[in-house]
Amino acid sequence: MSEPTLRTLTRPLVDENPITLQILGICSALAITRRLDTALLMGLSVIFVLTLSNASISLLRRQVPRSIRLIVQITVIASLVTVVDQLLQAFAWELSRQLSIFVGLIITNCVVLGRGESFALSHGVRASALDGLGNGLGYAGVLALVGGVRELLGSGSLLGVTILDRVDAGGWYQPAALLLLPPSAFFLLGFLVWGVRALRPEQVEAPEPRPEAAQTAVAGGR
Amino acid sequence: MAEPGPGRTLLVALAVCGVCSLVVTGSVVLLRPFQVENQQRERERRVRALVDGLPGVSDLVEAAGEARIELRVVELATGAYATSRDASALLEKSDGAEGEVPLPPERDPAGIGYVPTHVVVYELRRGDRVDTAILPIHGQGYLSMMRGYLAVAGDGETVRGIAFTEHHETPGLGSEVESPEWQARWQGRRLYGSDGEVRIRVVKTLPAAGSPDAPYVVQGISGATLTSAGVSELVRFWVGPDGFGPYLERLRAAAGSEGEGDPS
Amino acid sequence: MSSLLDLFVRAAFVENLALSFFLGMCMFLAVSRHVSTALGFGVAVMVVQTLTVPLNQLIYTHLLRPGAWSWAGLPELDLSFLALITSIGVIAAFVQILEMFFDRHLPALARALGIYLPLITVNCAILGGSLFMIERDYDFVESVVYGAGSGFGWVLAICLLAGVRTKLEYADPPEGLRGLGLTFVVVGLISLGFMGFAGIELR
Repeated sequence: MSEPTLRTLTRPLVDENPITLQILGICSALAITRRLDTALLMGLSVIFVLTLSNASISLLRRQVPRSIRLIVQITVIASLVTVVDQLLQAFAWELSRQLSIFVGLIITNCVVLGRGESFALSHGVRASALDGLGNGLGYAGVLALVGGVRELLGSGSLLGVTILDRVDAGGWYQPAALLLLPPSAFFLLGFLVWGVRALRPEQVEAPEPRPEAAQTAVAGGR
Repeated sequence: MAEPGPGRTLLVALAVCGVCSLVVTGSVVLLRPFQVENQQRERERRVRALVDGLPGVSDLVEAAGEARIELRVVELATGAYATSRDASALLEKSDGAEGEVPLPPERDPAGIGYVPTHVVVYELRRGDRVDTAILPIHGQGYLSMMRGYLAVAGDGETVRGIAFTEHHETPGLGSEVESPEWQARWQGRRLYGSDGEVRIRVVKTLPAAGSPDAPYVVQGISGATLTSAGVSELVRFWVGPDGFGPYLERLRAAAGSEGEGDPS
Repeated sequence: MSSLLDLFVRAAFVENLALSFFLGMCMFLAVSRHVSTALGFGVAVMVVQTLTVPLNQLIYTHLLRPGAWSWAGLPELDLSFLALITSIGVIAAFVQILEMFFDRHLPALARALGIYLPLITVNCAILGGSLFMIERDYDFVESVVYGAGSGFGWVLAICLLAGVRTKLEYADPPEGLRGLGLTFVVVGLISLGFMGFAGIELR
């Protein structure tokens, strides 16, 4: 299937960003976005796994019988994640300890499985790899954004470099401690989705149909 | 595509397993040396960081080289050196601890279950005197068993520093035990009161300046009350009578007698 | 005994897999808005969690961890790198068996759960539970309690969220925030609320 390959790469960045539109993969996204470096490393790991898993699944798509399709996909993804985990332990030891179990959770990350099912099974290897790369970049972009905001406003630094001098280090900036806590990541994602949908109104969800009584009550109250 | 028979299905399944196994095992075998080296370097770096945080000491270590940090096996009950045992061998074999004495719950505030009979400690020596003793400590934090080191000055009662090498506390909160800023709060704290009672502890709010408690308290991590409490309990245990208490008492006695000789 | 109870309460409330670690949310947020579906899915998740965490613990302890093969004269063997693969494998197999069991003996339940049962395999909360168990080195009994507790907490969170979302259908948020965006914010608030459980100790 020939597809304008640049579009395959760029589409998932904003128009079909896996997190904000397709609602996928937020699990791994949130817990490690307290700092930018862990967010970036997780993003890189997802790009690696997603690109290679899409390519592998596409490669195998005509060979694997339907009955074992899902488990074969999971096996391939689990193997790739194990390799990434080992690589991180070998070359980024400190950060990998911060990432804790979340690298392992890439196995069940909805983005990886989702793209495997919906794209790689029906497209060629090159297109699948590019799709994986594009989605990985879109995902990593959101992680980096959330991680950057949380670290900058929550700790006054970026990648460990102090940007805003904190009060407890003799400076002027009182860090917004809420940003260091898990719920803040959810708030940030909510606002990000709002922002993206303001830019791309076609992504706005249609309102749920309301029962007649409620509608007339609203109209009557005007 | 017609649904293939069980034979074909099995073949594909086995092939996938085979390739994945090769890839995974291959990467593990290739990367293992890097990982081991990392862990080793990490351990050394932490002990180094602990020592480096101590004013004046790091220069001494640089000048004199590794030889000045000596390993000793201490018998906990008496606090004396167990000269018959080999410290490096003990470190290799069983991570620096030997023996298991079960602790009844009322004597186990750190939740460690049992205490060893002999432990390897690191001593930084100046001439014949012990300048700093680095003691391995561990205990239940909030979510995990925490392991680390406590550095005590040669007077047997002043804290030079603390570091944690292993824990799985809440990222961003309890894990702040690893931050140098928090660890610096321990420097200069006193472990024991004038009657020899353990007085060091971690608190939520510092007492007013000038309060008699001031030299004995460390401010905990805000937002991580339970981790801080865990640290408090484990430090108090290890400097207490069931831990390194007897050893530190010997250091105090030796320091008291004009800094002469070893606590042997 | 009290420490087991404490573990259960901690797993369900303070370290709620959904609200403190955000595990298992993908599927739910994308799909369900009603309390009844949430409850059905949640109970299935809880059952799987309670059974797979101890199962994975046994496999890890007796086959994978360094020293597990000492009885066979291979004390140096360290297969812990296989933990990820075996955990997900066990979960997938278990869910498959559960599905077959339901089809044969509890068909009404199988129909009610429908598509959700196979989806449990890839629920981050299930794998997350097993991975936390390995990281924190729980023994067998602790694994059972942790599995049950974390599963229960997940059900609770998911039903709470479904309830709130049902109410929100009558809300009138700005267009861009409608649906997904608002849900994210609401979950953040619930998560903040659950943080209030920190520090509860059972004696």
